[in-house]
Amino acid sequence: MSMGPILETAQLSKSYGRIRALDNLDLSINEGMVFGFLGPNGSGKTTTLALLLQVLRPSSGSFNWFGKPQWDNVRKDIGAILESPCFYPYLSGYQNLMVSARIKEVNLAAIEPVLRTVDLYERRNDPFKTYSLGMKQRLAIASALLANPRVLILDEPTNGLDPQGIVEIRNLIKKIAGTGKTIILASHLLDEVQKVCSHFMVLRQGTKLFQGSVKDALTDQSLIEVAAADMQYLAEILVTYPGVEKVERRDDKLVFKASSMSTAQINHFLIEKKIVVSHLAKKNGNLEEEFLRILAKHE
Amino acid sequence: MKNYRPFWILVIMYIVVVILITCGGGLFLQFLKKQGADFNGIDPTLIPLYDFPDIWQNMTYLGSFCKVILGFIVVISVANEESFRTLRQNIIDGLSKQEFLWSKLLLILGLSVGATILMFLCALLMGSLYSSSGGMQQVFQSMDFIWAYFLILLTYLCFCFWVTLLLPRTGLVIVGLFLYTIIFEPFFALFLENFPYISDFIRPSTAFFPVRSLYNLIPVPFSKFLLREFQEFVSLKETMIVIGWLGVNLFLCRLILHRKDW
Repeated sequence: MSMGPILETAQLSKSYGRIRALDNLDLSINEGMVFGFLGPNGSGKTTTLALLLQVLRPSSGSFNWFGKPQWDNVRKDIGAILESPCFYPYLSGYQNLMVSARIKEVNLAAIEPVLRTVDLYERRNDPFKTYSLGMKQRLAIASALLANPRVLILDEPTNGLDPQGIVEIRNLIKKIAGTGKTIILASHLLDEVQKVCSHFMVLRQGTKLFQGSVKDALTDQSLIEVAAADMQYLAEILVTYPGVEKVERRDDKLVFKASSMSTAQINHFLIEKKIVVSHLAKKNGNLEEEFLRILAKHE
Repeated sequence: MKNYRPFWILVIMYIVVVILITCGGGLFLQFLKKQGADFNGIDPTLIPLYDFPDIWQNMTYLGSFCKVILGFIVVISVANEESFRTLRQNIIDGLSKQEFLWSKLLLILGLSVGATILMFLCALLMGSLYSSSGGMQQVFQSMDFIWAYFLILLTYLCFCFWVTLLLPRTGLVIVGLFLYTIIFEPFFALFLENFPYISDFIRPSTAFFPVRSLYNLIPVPFSKFLLREFQEFVSLKETMIVIGWLGVNLFLCRLILHRKDW
């Protein structure tokens, strides 16, 4: 899956006067990753993307795409949405995509399929200013997809969409990721990153707090819950199982970190110890807990 | 741009104003006569406004006052790219700043060429209708004013371009440019030229002001009829100053575009 870094940054920083919007970011993203930028509002996600897309000038540090120095042509291989969709309000959706197509040096025939992908084909001749927020967002995604780019950058792609729209966009992202494209997704919605991304980093006040794979973060967080008639005895037995470090009592259940254990192994072990469980379940962690833990660790 | 209504409104406004100014001059003189005005006993309608080759200077002098309207077109076109954030989106899509610069310079060039052709046709038409002197040689004498007119437009529009890049607020820039072009700089220049206690070394510096230098390029023609002596050609020195400003304006456009965060 990984075929070497597609993006590398070194000590990338951006200041606005005294405010340090991004502080010495070192980041490496490999081809094929679906990489999430996670952080509260104002943590530097959009600033980072704007720097990477060369609409902002870095205060210091450097980056490169595809191992090449920063040149304008590189951006033609990247499809991006930054913040809210920006188009000429008095042009129709189709005409706006014509502008994008001309810049990206793409054949105009590419416009129709992307309009169909985002379900805007029927409205293609209406002026952009008559579109609803969701339609504007979808047109932005269409524009990003236009050049069949190697990398797709999406900044808060589901912002302002209704629940159905959110599901559609997520499925679209997953579909695109399935074709092997690299996707960089910035979001403050943990759930979104968890559902879509393979890797993520956490930003706060311009500083990178954490970077890792979503799967690892989730297995780190997954727990096993057990309950039996004699809870005291159950706890004593459980700590003897290899890999179990600490057993905690939560309500009427015992809880411990799952690491790589399966519920079947635990069940088997407890039956050997002649304990009959009344409850046994593995609870997958979620990114929210991990995220809060990371933030708390850096308080 | 071609689908943008205010653009066409301004273009039409410009064409109408230029035609009015160039073709309405004769009517205006008749109006003056009716009002009983006279210039040292000369009947105003006898002023040879449309005689070749003077017509080139007269018309381009009047026409150059309308350049503010073309300036608005450039301001709106550039400021819109920022307020719609389409410049940002276009850069994200892979447009280089150089390409953006060229696209807007092409617009400026197009407007300048168009306005110059319009001026040429108007003057030619009015001249052939009203000129008392004829002959090919006389008709195309003093054509340097047409070139000067073109140069003035080009320089002025580039000036508008970088000012808009610097302050991307349509209303602010339009009011600011208007005041600066029409009021502030002329008054400041007058002040420098006429106020006592200013060293004679500073006085001629007004010739180097960005807008004043443009006005100087085509000298006031009508004094001919009153004073019988005036400059009947485009001076090389003033042309050089304007070309210098053109270079400075272009350089500033580039500099601001590359320096700024979008």
